[in-house]
Amino acid sequence: MSVFTDIAWGVWASSLFLLVLGVVLGSVAGRSAARFMEQRSSRHHTVMVRRLVFYVIVLLFAVAALREAGFSLDVVLGAAGILTVAIGFASQTSASNMISGLFLLVEKPFEIGDVIEADATIGEVIGIDMLSVKLRTPDNLYVRIPNETLIKTRVVNRSRFPIRRLDLTVGIAYAEDVARVEALLLKLAEKNPVCLEEPKPFVLVTAFGPSSVDLQFSFWVPKDKVLDGRSSMMVAIKQTLDRDGIEIPFPHTSIYAGSHSEPFRVQLLGPETTANKEPLDVDQDR
Amino acid sequence: MESQTEGLQDGVWAQPYTLASGQTQYHQLGQVRLWVTLLDQEWQLRSQTRAPETDPVTWTQGIGHTLPSSDVELQRFIRPGDSNVVTFIPGVASLPTVIRPFQPLTIPAGGRCVIYVGTVVWMKVCVGEAKTVLTEVPLGMPSLTWVGRNTMEGELCYSSSSFARLVLEAVPKRPWRAVTPVTIVNQRTEPLLLERFSLPTPLLSLHLNERGQLWTPGVTVVCETEMNSASLNVDQSLLAAAGPCQQVGPAREPVARGRLVRAFDRMFG
Repeated sequence: MSVFTDIAWGVWASSLFLLVLGVVLGSVAGRSAARFMEQRSSRHHTVMVRRLVFYVIVLLFAVAALREAGFSLDVVLGAAGILTVAIGFASQTSASNMISGLFLLVEKPFEIGDVIEADATIGEVIGIDMLSVKLRTPDNLYVRIPNETLIKTRVVNRSRFPIRRLDLTVGIAYAEDVARVEALLLKLAEKNPVCLEEPKPFVLVTAFGPSSVDLQFSFWVPKDKVLDGRSSMMVAIKQTLDRDGIEIPFPHTSIYAGSHSEPFRVQLLGPETTANKEPLDVDQDR
Repeated sequence: MESQTEGLQDGVWAQPYTLASGQTQYHQLGQVRLWVTLLDQEWQLRSQTRAPETDPVTWTQGIGHTLPSSDVELQRFIRPGDSNVVTFIPGVASLPTVIRPFQPLTIPAGGRCVIYVGTVVWMKVCVGEAKTVLTEVPLGMPSLTWVGRNTMEGELCYSSSSFARLVLEAVPKRPWRAVTPVTIVNQRTEPLLLERFSLPTPLLSLHLNERGQLWTPGVTVVCETEMNSASLNVDQSLLAAAGPCQQVGPAREPVARGRLVRAFDRMFG
């Protein structure tokens, strides 16, 4: 019983109270700061400031709580110093991710709300945290990528700039007039409301393929109209080329029966013929 | 819709129209056909964009009970209060509008000119005494373009081809186009070739004169040394030729210095 009575419950309770108060105050202050920043800054900076305010306040209250509990800060820091090597080895991955996270914040290759492609995953950045970056993919999956991976791998930011160029490959038959097709495609770009007038759309002949002359049709769209622009333009291309009788060749597959390439022999059997047909080998009595 | 062509009258901006429950008001202006229907609990809007080749010159409207075919897109809105009044307020484009004369215009060194530019307006459908905006309909098909030093820095704009008319009488006055007089002053020692320029339409307010024409305040662009350092000023008053006017649509954005400086950078692309 003396074990329990020896503990200074009052001191521990006040320390705990300080800690909880810190969390509550940090949370309230963080939210207030975020509300203040919302109208004045980007979502990315708002989240950063909210977290910074929260962690600073919680840290201050945690230090106060430690002092209240009777821990000397010098001793705690000294112990942390001694443990650094052990902790460093033990938490190598975490430390690496944290440092990578700092680099990501400083270098700022993307912000919250950007659509990025990293590690063969495309998604909208919904959080940049201490250890990882969280993405929401177009098919609504939650993907967590460690910060270290993002530092090492190639990251494509698909929404950094306000406009994007779409390159469509259009193959036409060798018999078709390339100049006429080019004019038709440029006319389509002119008509499409998603397609920008400047920078100008253009058409290039990129290859003489096995069965088609390959053209590259490039045009610019606002970054939020990429899917719409691609799909509506492809539909329009197909309709226009069909209407103007321009052939879009596609690979053909031929099936050959046997080495002599003879056609299959097809014979229609009536019910009476079927009844008189020979029994199958497996049904024959041997 | 043939039956609705009877009893059509000219439409007017900012004039309250009263509908009875079950009635439909039909509008035809610009490239748009619009049907506004009042029901007991809701407002219904149907709009259809016509081919850009059509070039109507008037705004006609009529009230009846005829609805278009079901393939016209329908929008439904809860009827705020029991008001049966609908008003149509014009609005300027939400993005700057790039004006590209069909034939480039050269302004000699030290010269100045006034060109009259017509830009497409948006129709805000407002209901009730409080003029609650239900939706906005563009009265022309605006195409998009990019104005900037490169594809990284710049601004998305609407595009408008223009004849860059220098005579006010030659400018066609349409109910769905607002006329802006743009004064360009070339204070440089070299001629200024005007191939295109960006008109900051969101900064302009809309005014209606007695003939039902829409006007915006004039814009003065002074080009002193370089194209990029051109200064822009939105006039306080309207052109005298517009006659007595009432303001019917406010500017979308307040004239702020920071906004203008950015606009100057991209004035001439």
